[in-house]
This record gives sequence, C-alpha cells and structure tokens, in this order.
Amino acid sequence: MNTKPWKHPLGQAAIVVVLAYVLFEWGIWLLPPLFGVASAPVPATVVLQYMGTVVVGVLIWVSDSEERWKQFKAPIHRVMVDPRQKVLRTALMVTIPLLVAFMTFDRVRPTVSAPAALRSVHPAPPGQIDFRGETMVLNGLENPLRHEGDLEEHYEEGKRIYVQNCMPCHGDALDGQGHFASAFNPAPLSFQDPGTIVQLTESFVFWRIAKGGPGLPREATPWDSAMPAWEDLLTAEEIWQVTIYLYEQTGWEPRTWEEEGAEGEEH
Amino acid sequence: MRARASSPRAAMIPGFVFAAAMTCALSAPLAAQEENALGRDVYDRWCASCHGYEGLGDGYAATYMLPRPRDFTQALYQIRTTASGQLPTDDDIMRVINEGMPGTTMPGWEEELSLEERLALVDYLKSFSRFFAAGEAPAPLTFSSPTRATEEALADGREVYELIECNRCHGIDGRGDGTSSPTLVDDAGMPTYSADLTENWYFNGGGTVEDIYQRLRTGLDGTPMPSFTDLIDAGVITDEQLWNLAHYVRSFAPEDPPGITEVIRAGLVEDAPLPDGVDDPLWESAEAFYIPMGGQIIESPRWFVPQVAGLWVRALHDGGELAVHVSWSDHSESPDTAWAAFQAQVLSALGPAEGDMEPGPRPDGLYLQFPMEIPEGMDKPYFLMGDPLEPVYLWHWESTADGAQEADARGLGTMAPQGNASQSLVSEAAFSEGRWAVMFRRTLENEDPGDLQFRIGEPVPVGFAAWDGDNGESRSRGSISSWHYIFLQEPTPATVVVAPLIATLLTAGLGVLVVARAQRREREGAEGPDEGDA
Ligand code: HEC
Ligand code: HEC
Ligand code: HEC
Repeated sequence: MNTKPWKHPLGQAAIVVVLAYVLFEWGIWLLPPLFGVASAPVPATVVLQYMGTVVVGVLIWVSDSEERWKQFKAPIHRVMVDPRQKVLRTALMVTIPLLVAFMTFDRVRPTVSAPAALRSVHPAPPGQIDFRGETMVLNGLENPLRHEGDLEEHYEEGKRIYVQNCMPCHGDALDGQGHFASAFNPAPLSFQDPGTIVQLTESFVFWRIAKGGPGLPREATPWDSAMPAWEDLLTAEEIWQVTIYLYEQTGWEPRTWEEEGAEGEEH
Repeated sequence: MRARASSPRAAMIPGFVFAAAMTCALSAPLAAQEENALGRDVYDRWCASCHGYEGLGDGYAATYMLPRPRDFTQALYQIRTTASGQLPTDDDIMRVINEGMPGTTMPGWEEELSLEERLALVDYLKSFSRFFAAGEAPAPLTFSSPTRATEEALADGREVYELIECNRCHGIDGRGDGTSSPTLVDDAGMPTYSADLTENWYFNGGGTVEDIYQRLRTGLDGTPMPSFTDLIDAGVITDEQLWNLAHYVRSFAPEDPPGITEVIRAGLVEDAPLPDGVDDPLWESAEAFYIPMGGQIIESPRWFVPQVAGLWVRALHDGGELAVHVSWSDHSESPDTAWAAFQAQVLSALGPAEGDMEPGPRPDGLYLQFPMEIPEGMDKPYFLMGDPLEPVYLWHWESTADGAQEADARGLGTMAPQGNASQSLVSEAAFSEGRWAVMFRRTLENEDPGDLQFRIGEPVPVGFAAWDGDNGESRSRGSISSWHYIFLQEPTPATVVVAPLIATLLTAGLGVLVVARAQRREREGAEGPDEGDA
C-alpha cells in the first residue's frame, strides 16, 4: 500500500504531466538561452496542444497493462468511495469546478493585445542592390577593406562612425541597450547576441546598414523598423568600416560564403 | 595636456594637498597608467569613444550629447559618498561604472565587463588626475538610517522643500521648471537642466530614498545641484528633516518606474459624459499608459538631445466619440523668453552636424499619428510619418496655435493640415507647474474620406512625436515613438459571466454523478460479491 509516490503509476503519471508542463511553459523558453541559443515563450494554445498529447500518451501507457491500470485507478477510486476520505473528496469536488471556472473565464475574458506580428528577423537578402546609383552584387561579396589599407585604422574609423550614429540605439556595449532603445519596437538588435551578426555574411550586414528598415521585404515589417537607411549619410567605405567595428568589437567572425553555400539559403 | 594647472578643482582642494600634488611631479599619473595595462586596454576599447583617449571627455561622440561625457582630468565626480568638494572613494567610482548614470548616455558596465576589468578601470580613471595620486584616501560621510515615510514626515518634507528653496530650480511640483532653471550651467559652462523629480528612474545616482538622501548630503559636484550638509551643520534643518525631504522628493515619482505598453486601452464610459477638458475629474480614474520617446535620429537633420523622454496617455470613449489625454513634463511653456539664452547655449553645444540651426522662438508641439484606415493584416504606413505611397493621418497640436488640427503626411517634414472644412477635432491644452496636458476629442466615425474611421474592439495603430521648443526642437528635431495601438474597449459580453458559470455547473454535476455512481457500485459490490469496479 505504502509504495513511494514515484513507484506508483498514478504518481508517475502525475510527475510526467507536471514535468512536461514545466518544460513547455518555461523550459523551452528559458533553457536554450543558457547555452547561447535564442528562444521565446511558447504560446498558450500550443502548450495546451502539447499537454493534450502528453496526457493521451500517459493514459495509453497506464492502460497498457491490466495490472498497472488497476493500480492506477485504485487511489482515485478510494478517494471517491472511502468514508475516511470525505474531507479530501469534498475539497476536490469544490476546487476542481472552481479551477475549471477560472480557466474558462481566462479564455473568454476580453483581452487586449496587439495583433501578433510574425516578423522575419533575417529575411533573404536581395541578390543585388543599387547603392548611390551603382549596382552592387551582394552574392559572394566580401568586405573589400579586409585586404585594403590598415585594419587598425578601419576599426578606429568604424568606432567613430558607430558612436556618432548607432550608439543611441544599439548601445555603447553593442548590446542593443542604447539610451533611445526603449522607444523602438522592434527593439534595436544586440550584436553581442549569437543570433545576429554571427549568422550573417558581411554583405548582408552591408545591405542592412545601407537600406535600413525601409529596405526590408514585407515579411520583415519594414514600416515598424526604426533602423535608419544609411545610404545617404555614410559612404560605402564608411559602412564597410563600421561593419569591421561590429565584428572586431564583439569578437565574432562574420559568416563566410563557403558556410553560406554549404547550408543553402537558410537565414 | 593631462595636467592642466588651471583646473577649477584646484581652488577647492586644501592647499597642502595641492602642494603635495605639485611636488609629486606631473609624471605620477603617467607612471600609474603605464603599469595598468589592463585598465588602459579596457578603457581604450569601451570608454574612450566618449571620454576620449586622454580622459578629457572629448571622445568622438562628445558633441552629440548633453550632459557631456566626463572630463576625468578634472577629478569632478557627481556620485559620491564623500563631502562636497572631496574626491570620490573607489567604491563610488565602481558604483557608477557598474550602474551607469540613468538619464544620461553613460551606461552601466556590470554585465559587460569582468570584476577584474572594472577594478582596473577604477585605478585607470584615477590616474588621469594628479589629485588622486597625491592625497589620503577620501573618507566617506557617515549617513544616518532612514526615517519612516509617515504623513507627518512627508508634510514636513514639503515644508523643508520650500524653506530651503528646492523649488527655485526644481519647481513646485518637482518638474525642473523653477525660475532659476534657465540660468543653470555646469562647471564646464554647459547648459544644465534641473532634474525632473517626477522621473526618479532617471536620477543619475539612483532613485531610492537612500540615494536621494545621499545626493542631498553630498551634492552633485560639478553641477549646480548643491550639498545641504552645511544647512544641518548650521542648525537650519535637522538630519531627520533631510530624510523627510528625501521622502517628499521620492513621493513626486510613481512607486515603480512605468512599464512599456504596446496597447493603450480606451475605457468605455457608459454613465457619464466624456471629459470635455484636460482637467475633467474623469481623467483621474482613466488608466494611464507610458510611452517612452527617443530622439529622431533616423532621417537628416537628426536630433540627439530630446527633452520629452516619455508621454503619459489616457483614453476614453463612449461609443460615439473618442477622447485622448496626453501629458508630459516640460521645463517651460515655449516660446518663453526666459529660456532664449539657454536654447542658444544648447544649440551651440551641439556639433555642427545636421545643418545649422539659429536660436529663435519655437513652440512646443505634439502629434498623434494614425494610418488612414485600420489595417487588415500587419501592414502599416512607415512609422516615421508615412511615405509617399502610404500616408498617415495626424492630430497635431502646437503651443502657439489655436487648437489642434487634423493633418496628413507622406513622410517626415511633409505634414500639411487638412482643409478648414475637414477640421473636426475638439481640443484643449493647459500648461501648469512644468506639465503640459493636451486633450483631443473626435467622433469615432465621420463623413470625411480623408480621416481614419475608428471601430470599437479593433486595435488601431497609433504613434507619437513631441517637441520642446525652448530646447531648440522643431520639425525633424524632436522625439518620436514606434507604432503602438489604441484599443477601444467593447461593452462586456455576457459570455464572460455565462461561460464560466456553465462550465462550473457541468464539471460539478459530472463530478457528483461519477462519485455517486462509484459509491453505489461500492455498496452493491459489498452486498453482492465479485462485482469489481470496472
Ligand atoms: C533609431 C535607432 C537605430 C539606429 C540609430 C541604428 N539602428 Fe540598426 N537597428 C535598429 C533596429 C530597431 C533594428 C532591428 C530591426 C531591423 O532589423 O530592422 C536594427 C537592426 C540592425 C542590423 C541588423 C542586424 C541583424 O541581425 O539583422 C544591423 C546590422 C544594424 N542595425 C546596424 C546598425 C548600424 C551600423 C548603425 C549605425 C550606422 C545602426 N544600426 C543605427 C535601430 C537602429
Ligand atoms: C556613450 C558615451 C559613454 C561611454 C561609452 C562611457 N561613458 Fe562614462 N559618462 C558619459 C557621460 C555623458 C557622463 C556624464 C554624465 C553626467 O554628467 O551626468 C559620464 C560619466 C562618467 C563618470 C562620472 C561619474 C560621476 O560620479 O560623476 C565615470 C566614472 C564614467 N563615466 C566612467 C566610464 C567608464 C569607466 C566607461 C567605460 C567602461 C564609460 N564611462 C563609458 C558617457 C559615456
Ligand atoms: C541651483 C539649483 C538647484 C537647487 C537649489 C536644487 N537643485 Fe537639485 N538639481 C539641480 C540640478 C541642475 C540637477 C541635475 C544635475 C545633473 O545631473 O546634471 C539637480 C538634481 C537633483 C536630484 C537628482 C539627483 C541625481 O541622482 O541625479 C535630486 C533628487 C535633487 N536635485 C533634489 C533637490 C532638492 C531636494 C533640493 C532642495 C533641497 C534641490 N535639489 C535643490 C539644481 C538644483
């Protein structure tokens, strides 16, 4: 009778269900960032769906063997019939309906939320762009300054360009926490984040700096982005210099065209 | 270069320290810098772009910001636990490095740099000035423990606030609009705004009562904000009264800093008329939403030093009309001639980038921006006043104009008021004790094809921009927000009550049935043998 809860099928089922809930609700959202992988909370409807699957799975497992099924039901049955369990029985018969009431209320109550914006952060870049009247082919394009002039000087120029132009949004520490950042949604991206410039070739970064928010395709909601288009304010050389600064200062390596080719069109 | 003998601090440092500094030879800081290679590396990498490689506060971005990055050769530190005119302790410097100075461009570095790096930075910063090398380690003041924030304490704090004339600079309601405010400059001659005490999350040295008390004891050296320890020493006020004052100052600001809201809820008013002015008591009960603002640094000419840091927005509707109330702190009712010289100083402090700007009388301003119609999908006009293909519809108010106007724009700088026949906004604005409040009111639907038609229960995109004329702001030089939404609340549907009720009854009924059945079976099982419980 007095088996440990985790040896009893009902206890095991409860543990699995609770663990699954914790994993769906918080685990998927909070664990990957510990390993440097970006993540987000799972929407409530999806959690519900997952939990449904888990519960069905657990039921199949407990009813799979006659013996286990009996064991599983026994405590439930006892609570329903045993005169000594009257207090617990009454408590459950009150709390469960109340819980259901609360859950239904939570679902039907009018909530106010912004329309879900399914924004693509790294859309496929155009193959070529028009920069100050000249055509630039982005495919296979490398940062020319990596082999031209003094890297140290480019870095220093990039630093000047960055603090004078980008710092109020992207932050002094390149972490997206500039003093104007809270005014903008989507928020200015953090270049320290392993989900941004590390994933990109320098030509992609050049395109984003040159054409900014307005240059994004529709799936990336160009109308929302506060990222300025720098084409008119910065020369091509200055954009390549600030790109060098972004990588040098964060210590990331840009994605190469070989890697790009190996993994295809994934962004 | 580093050893400027004419430092204003020289006058404040006791003579013997100064003499000692001189005998220590000017090379002392240099030697210290040579040894501290880690400090120099980290400083050059992360701090020099603002504070300058020589620590002179003249980094690349210096002319893009007010207050300016600190010149470390002057050894003037605002956030200290030491008496006014004294050097800071190492812990004081560490605190600023860790937490930054909210409300300025000086960020906190606790999460970005290792402890070792930050310790090395403290030493490195000190090596920019001879004064640290010379004297004894500075001794922190002893601070008493806080009193309780009782009604009496707050009332006393209020009296002290007026007695020792905080309002001269900070204004009656603490919004930085005191009569002396337009005359204030810091020790480097840069124009300096009195802090807005209603926004304690922007206090340079932190917003708690303890922080405030400490700043009152120490002053913010290098700025016009004095220390009040001498008033205690002279017996004008007691130490306890200074705590009361700190509690009172704290009470200007809300309990918690405001969160960012994406959706502004416009409450439904059913049994009272919609407010028809900014002071209508109904506004007090309406939920207030905070909209953070940032400088317009997207299109030229840009503006890096906006004064409107955020707006408080309230909205109500009655099914027929929508009323929106917007309020924010402002030092003056622009254009105010008392601020003309200050404005000129601000404009000349900024670098010549972005085209020249002449000082002159400029109004305060505000707009609310909407799309021309409620969008079907995700599409919206460009958040910065639309573009030639997708224009925006605006409610535009200016302090010098007679009432707000409806306007259209097809990109920054293209705003044009609608024709007189199309104007249908009701508005009222009032400036009081450093705060603007502007109310707009319009029917949800009208016949004008050039206007947005509001619908209840659908989120409508809304954006904001604001200008502080006496800070030199106008046209593209001002502060802006992203797109937010305004949502006109629907009457509460019956399902909200009915559905949970039905669900409860169903579960309860089902539960009773199942249990009753199980118990019956159990009894039958006990009588007739071998029934099982399947
Ligand atoms: C007004 C604020 C603002 C300023 C100033 C600004 N940015 Fe951005 N930036 C953003 C925002 C917001 C995003 C994210 C939205 C987007 O992708 O368009 C972004 C995105 C980017 C991205 C894309 C990163 C990625 O992973 O896709 C790059 C690269 C970038 N910014 C570089 C710069 C550079 C370089 C400067 C200065 C020359 C700069 N930004 C100035 C707001 C700004
Ligand atoms: C984006 C520009 C910027 C960067 C980068 C920056 N600072 Fe500052 N810092 C400022 C400004 C502006 C002030 C002056 C704020 C004021 O006067 O209210 C300041 C002030 C200070 C002060 C004076 C504190 C006081 O009590 O008065 C210290 C110390 C300081 N910074 C250290 C650093 C260190 C160390 C770094 C690098 C890790 C750094 N700063 C990076 C802008 C910057
Ligand atoms: C001569 C004008 C003047 C007077 C008088 C004055 N202040 Fe200030 N105060 C300022 C200025 C200017 C600042 C902003 C300093 C800066 O950060 O540049 C300031 C800042 C502050 C701050 C913010 C501190 C921080 O950490 O940023 C507080 C709080 C404050 N004052 C409270 C008071 C109180 C209380 C009194 C009266 C006992 C008072 N002030 C009297 C000019 C004044």
